[in-house]
Amino acid sequence: MRASLFITCYNDTLYPETGKAVVRLLERLGVQLDFHPKQTCCGQMHANTGFRGEAFSQAKRFVRLYQDTETVVVPSSSCVAMIRDQYPGLFEELGNDTLRKEFAALLPRIFELSEFLIDRLGVEDVGAYFPHRVAYHASCHGVRALHLGERPFRLLGKVRGLELIPIPNAERCCGFGGTFSVKNGEVSSAMLAAKLQDVSSTRAEVCTALDNSCLMHLGGAMHRQFMGMRTMHLAEILACTESSPEVQP
Amino acid sequence: MSPDQAITAEPAPHTSALRPIPAHEHAELDPRFAPPFPQAALHVLRNPQLRKNVAHAIDVIQTKRGKLVAEKQDWQALRDAASAIRTEALDHLGTYLHEFEKNCTAAGGTVHWAADADEARRIILDLLRQEKASEVIKIKTMTSAEIQLNPFLEKSGLEVYETDLAEIILQLGEEEPSHIVVPALHINRSQVREIFARRMGLEHLSDDPKELTNAARAYLRRKFLTIPTAISGANFLIAETGGVAVVESEGNGRMCLTLPQTMITIAGIEKVLPRFNDLEVMLQLLARSATGERMNPYTSLWTGVTPGDGPQNFHVVLLDNGRSSILKKPVERQTLKCIRCAACMNACPVYRQTGGHAYGSVYPGPIGAILTPQLMKMEFAQSLPYASSLCGACYEVCPVKINIPEVLLELRSQVVNQERGQAGRFFDPMYLGLRIANLLFARAWRFHLAQRLGRIGLRLFTRKDGWIHSLPSVGGKWTQTRDLRGFPEQTFHEWWAARAKEDQ
Amino acid sequence: MSTSATSRQRILDRIRAEEGPKATGAFVGSSAGPHAYFRRGALDRSACLSLMIERLREYDAEVVECTPEQISTTIDDQLSASGKHLFTAPQGLPSAWMSASFDWKVDHQLPAEEIEKTEGVVTASFCGIADSGTIVLHHSASEGRRVLTLLPDWHLCILRASQVVETLPEYFDRCPAPPALATYISGPSATADIEMTRIKGVHGPRFLHVILVRDES
Repeated sequence: MRASLFITCYNDTLYPETGKAVVRLLERLGVQLDFHPKQTCCGQMHANTGFRGEAFSQAKRFVRLYQDTETVVVPSSSCVAMIRDQYPGLFEELGNDTLRKEFAALLPRIFELSEFLIDRLGVEDVGAYFPHRVAYHASCHGVRALHLGERPFRLLGKVRGLELIPIPNAERCCGFGGTFSVKNGEVSSAMLAAKLQDVSSTRAEVCTALDNSCLMHLGGAMHRQFMGMRTMHLAEILACTESSPEVQP
Repeated sequence: MSPDQAITAEPAPHTSALRPIPAHEHAELDPRFAPPFPQAALHVLRNPQLRKNVAHAIDVIQTKRGKLVAEKQDWQALRDAASAIRTEALDHLGTYLHEFEKNCTAAGGTVHWAADADEARRIILDLLRQEKASEVIKIKTMTSAEIQLNPFLEKSGLEVYETDLAEIILQLGEEEPSHIVVPALHINRSQVREIFARRMGLEHLSDDPKELTNAARAYLRRKFLTIPTAISGANFLIAETGGVAVVESEGNGRMCLTLPQTMITIAGIEKVLPRFNDLEVMLQLLARSATGERMNPYTSLWTGVTPGDGPQNFHVVLLDNGRSSILKKPVERQTLKCIRCAACMNACPVYRQTGGHAYGSVYPGPIGAILTPQLMKMEFAQSLPYASSLCGACYEVCPVKINIPEVLLELRSQVVNQERGQAGRFFDPMYLGLRIANLLFARAWRFHLAQRLGRIGLRLFTRKDGWIHSLPSVGGKWTQTRDLRGFPEQTFHEWWAARAKEDQ
Repeated sequence: MSTSATSRQRILDRIRAEEGPKATGAFVGSSAGPHAYFRRGALDRSACLSLMIERLREYDAEVVECTPEQISTTIDDQLSASGKHLFTAPQGLPSAWMSASFDWKVDHQLPAEEIEKTEGVVTASFCGIADSGTIVLHHSASEGRRVLTLLPDWHLCILRASQVVETLPEYFDRCPAPPALATYISGPSATADIEMTRIKGVHGPRFLHVILVRDES
């Protein structure tokens, strides 16, 4: 099984350990991974802030980069949602039929990480070991755009030693929302405060999710407030085994 | 003030949490004058009492709604049907409005057409003057708030009496609505007691909701029985029959549309449904979505004039006020499917923190964020499409399946296109930053260079523990409540390249 | 030309520019379409009637049952139990239902002030919808003008079992034609405007009593 990793612009810059965990995990599962060195961004930040022209150019670039790739894996549900939900409209608007067709052919070959594991590899037990109390934050794009449903829970359920505690009001937005977090910084912080109340009530050691965007926001406040809880992308938990208990950053 | 200028605006002074906010401190619910959302929201966020009131009200409705939706096995099918019915109505709006007018007129009603708020107000005033009315009783209607009818009528010498309990609270307390179904949800019982005691002269009134409600009942009874002119809105206009449907809980609606001699109904042109039978879908969705009930206590349907029963003088004022412009837009026209149930704002995590006033419009919440700027022809309320984290909860609950996030994104794109050309924009940190980012993302080498430069630049702000505690400008909006981990020494792509080299 | 007529033309012109070919006008609710919401209920008659009673009682409506032969006496019992004496009734209410032990003001276009003086009203009904505990009035001669079921504080409603359906779409199937007037009552008036505390009986009858007549075999 071959797959190409689209790391996403923010993971590349801020969360390389997530990428490394994805590599460890997928190689352990027998996937031959490659990495396109020219990748940059899917255009979500621009599209969501209203800069559609700019988002077009990034979308075009993405499609051209991956048009001949068999399978693309993305450890970020918001980026996959951008590609699935907004790219079709963008290419429609552009009126470029060739691009539209290229994209339509590429789309079914793009997978968010948990989709790749469960749907493409057919695997729930990835051989992971993580003996900690963990709370799983269901990011909005994962829940409502990708309809990931039970996938992350099925993966977490097979991690040895892991105690999963449900977060109350699990599907309520954490308040990150991309540029919303600064354009409406105070409201974002109010939503964050409410979410942290729910997360901290679990008394978990680690808060995990499929998106580092939410975790950057949650984790940033946890750090500021000396909360005694940390954040980790789900890939990093799944990468841990008995012989290799935690990925070194 | 533009949404981006608001980012660096000074926050409003701290207000005491425990006293009710006096009228003059409100964001006026006129989108032409209301402060941008981030600024208006900040004022509200500093009011724990109001936030508690809003969260409590929402949680009650959401819990009830959740139970009823879970038990309704065909809920998604009903949403599909409702969306189809509303789309059909909008796709042939002219035809259905014409049919409604024909049938309503044949049944003894008179139909008027108002191109804008100004015209609607004048039509209504003229009708009241014809009846020599000095007072009028009203059923709550957001449409009349949209056209700012009450202040206009009062300036013209009429006494206007709201009859919904929430509207009475707001009217007597000189407050503004903050929700389209439960407009006074931001006001708690002791605040209501204070308003009633003061304005109804009832010093010994307790804050028990039952007693407060009885006070309102007694206050209104005489008005219902004596005032011969009433104004209502409409939940639905039925094209097939010329009928009008009003959905309510208290019974003041039934009072207003049964006892007076003259009835004036104002309704947005989008309120029309093709057939009477369409109600079998809409009514199953509306109460469940709005108040978490299988059916609201009273729904009234009437057609024109019925001799001997109810008002013998019936007028419908059909209001455009920007709706026909929205109809022209392919992505935005779905906004008009709205049946004003407020499920979107009950589900909205942003609304939950800010309540309705922050939106500076009589239509708050997710629907307000898309409807208000459009009714204003995108000349005002440009901060509203950004008053959302795009979480999608609204779309999930909307009974007529309005894809609110899709419309928000479309409107954001229009706001940016409006603002791009403006002179001051070039150095706006957000605009500059995003334009530069786009250039960087166009070439991998530029992106990688920027990462290296960013890593170096941020070292200035990175503390010993590897975290950033404070950033300037736009970044300051992040660091006001969150730390940011410093850029790692090696990006993922650098690690990958190094590993590939090692393997060779 | 008046302003309203000019506006009418302008609005219609603006809207019509957008219209496509008109739909057939066929009812969207056809079960053949993709919109497969439930039109019929799944309960048998007995369960349906039990549900109607249960939902009415959830709204604090009082429900008693009787056979068709017992209607008059059951009404009598309800009127006695109410402790009230002066009632109003629609002009088409069967006279057998109006016991002489009480004072009656039959509605021949009674002024509102007169109705206001009465203590209760007795009416028939058009339909009952079990799913939501809704009583439907089409304001026929035996159901009365709308004001009759609005001003008095106490409403006794006679509902036949044969008039009870389970779902809202089934009610629509029962309408021979759309009614010109209809009131759908699903409990006494209520408000939750103060702190979401549900208070019953704001305007409209605070007391609803229903006699369910078991007229089916």
